[in-house]
Amino acid sequence: MSAELRLPVEASAGFEARVMAAVRRAPAPLPERVWAWLGEPRALAVSPLGGLAAAAVLALLFAGGTWAALRTARAPVAAPAAAAQPAGGAGSVVTFVLVAPRARTVALAGDFDGWDRTRLPMRRGASGLWTLDVPLAPGRYQYAFVVDGRQFVADPSAPRAVGDDFGEPNSVVTVSGGAPRGAGGAL
Amino acid sequence: MNGRIAAVAAAAVLLALPPALAAQVDRLAGRVDERTLAAVTALVDSARASGVPATPLVNKALEGASKGASGERIAAAVRALAGDLAGARVALGPGASEPELVAGAAALRAGAGPAYLARLRSTYPRESLVVPLAVTADLVARGVPADTATRTVLALMHEGVQDADLVAFRQSVERDIALGAPAGGTAAALAGAVITGEPVMPGNNIPPPRPRKP
Repeated sequence: MSAELRLPVEASAGFEARVMAAVRRAPAPLPERVWAWLGEPRALAVSPLGGLAAAAVLALLFAGGTWAALRTARAPVAAPAAAAQPAGGAGSVVTFVLVAPRARTVALAGDFDGWDRTRLPMRRGASGLWTLDVPLAPGRYQYAFVVDGRQFVADPSAPRAVGDDFGEPNSVVTVSGGAPRGAGGAL
Repeated sequence: MNGRIAAVAAAAVLLALPPALAAQVDRLAGRVDERTLAAVTALVDSARASGVPATPLVNKALEGASKGASGERIAAAVRALAGDLAGARVALGPGASEPELVAGAAALRAGAGPAYLARLRSTYPRESLVVPLAVTADLVARGVPADTATRTVLALMHEGVQDADLVAFRQSVERDIALGAPAGGTAAALAGAVITGEPVMPGNNIPPPRPRKP
């Protein structure tokens, strides 16, 4: 039986050509082709002037990125209740801040936006610092951060709301806007 | 079948609402199911008779919807808030603004009595009480006993302390509590310092460490 199995098999005419044609028709996947192109050594001719221009562009890009990062890091950050009050006493622009380096998205949800999980996305800055400025009319608002679209997180730098109606604590921001109060009054 | 009845009931109540109120309830469309919509709409409509604004009630329902709460839980939370807002309306009077009612409801929920709200209103009839009421609620939430918080805020206001100073006072209390000071003691001591004009330094009200026994 083993001798029989060792007998050469006669392939039909053109079999080898058909197999090779099929192999050539199947292209390699795109990432594989890109990787192969990147890995293949190439001769690159660069003039001294071109090299200097490329280096200048890279240096400009690096300087611009560094400046933007420093500007973000030094931006004045106010705790919700301590935000600056615009003239006229018609409310405040409140800066909300959350440090969440591992978060992919952070949004603000509260009484001021109908507790919408997506309406007020926060901007990510250096070191996972998420910030958002929101103009608010005078009043007391409950809010929370929505991390990665699902997890409600209270603001660690703000007072907590009394009561916990839905099992997840809220924070509170109070915006003043009333007229100055005089001293006195019966106690 | 029950869902259809709830939808019809919600539609009927919506049609009977004044336009401004209907606009508020419309915000719930698509955020809660028909049965919850009908329950919340009925609560909002009934609260209107007591002079309770619709916006905070609808916001509470939207919060519950956003957090995935059940319809029953949403209705219970809205009902509880409507009760607090109605209490604040009675204590603060018919001229109270919506933000004052919201802050007053928070103070009531925290444990400040309606007499405190009424006293604030009678003492300061034409001034916004949003910040004093909010600071009271925040102090109690941070652990300051309700009677200490109310007395302290009243004393500060009697001295003419402004809203920004009340907020700064609350922050000082929170900071000292975080550093280990007893909640009630730090509020009273800080208020005394503010009234007498003493500088308020962080950590002034932290008790010294107990001497070790030999």
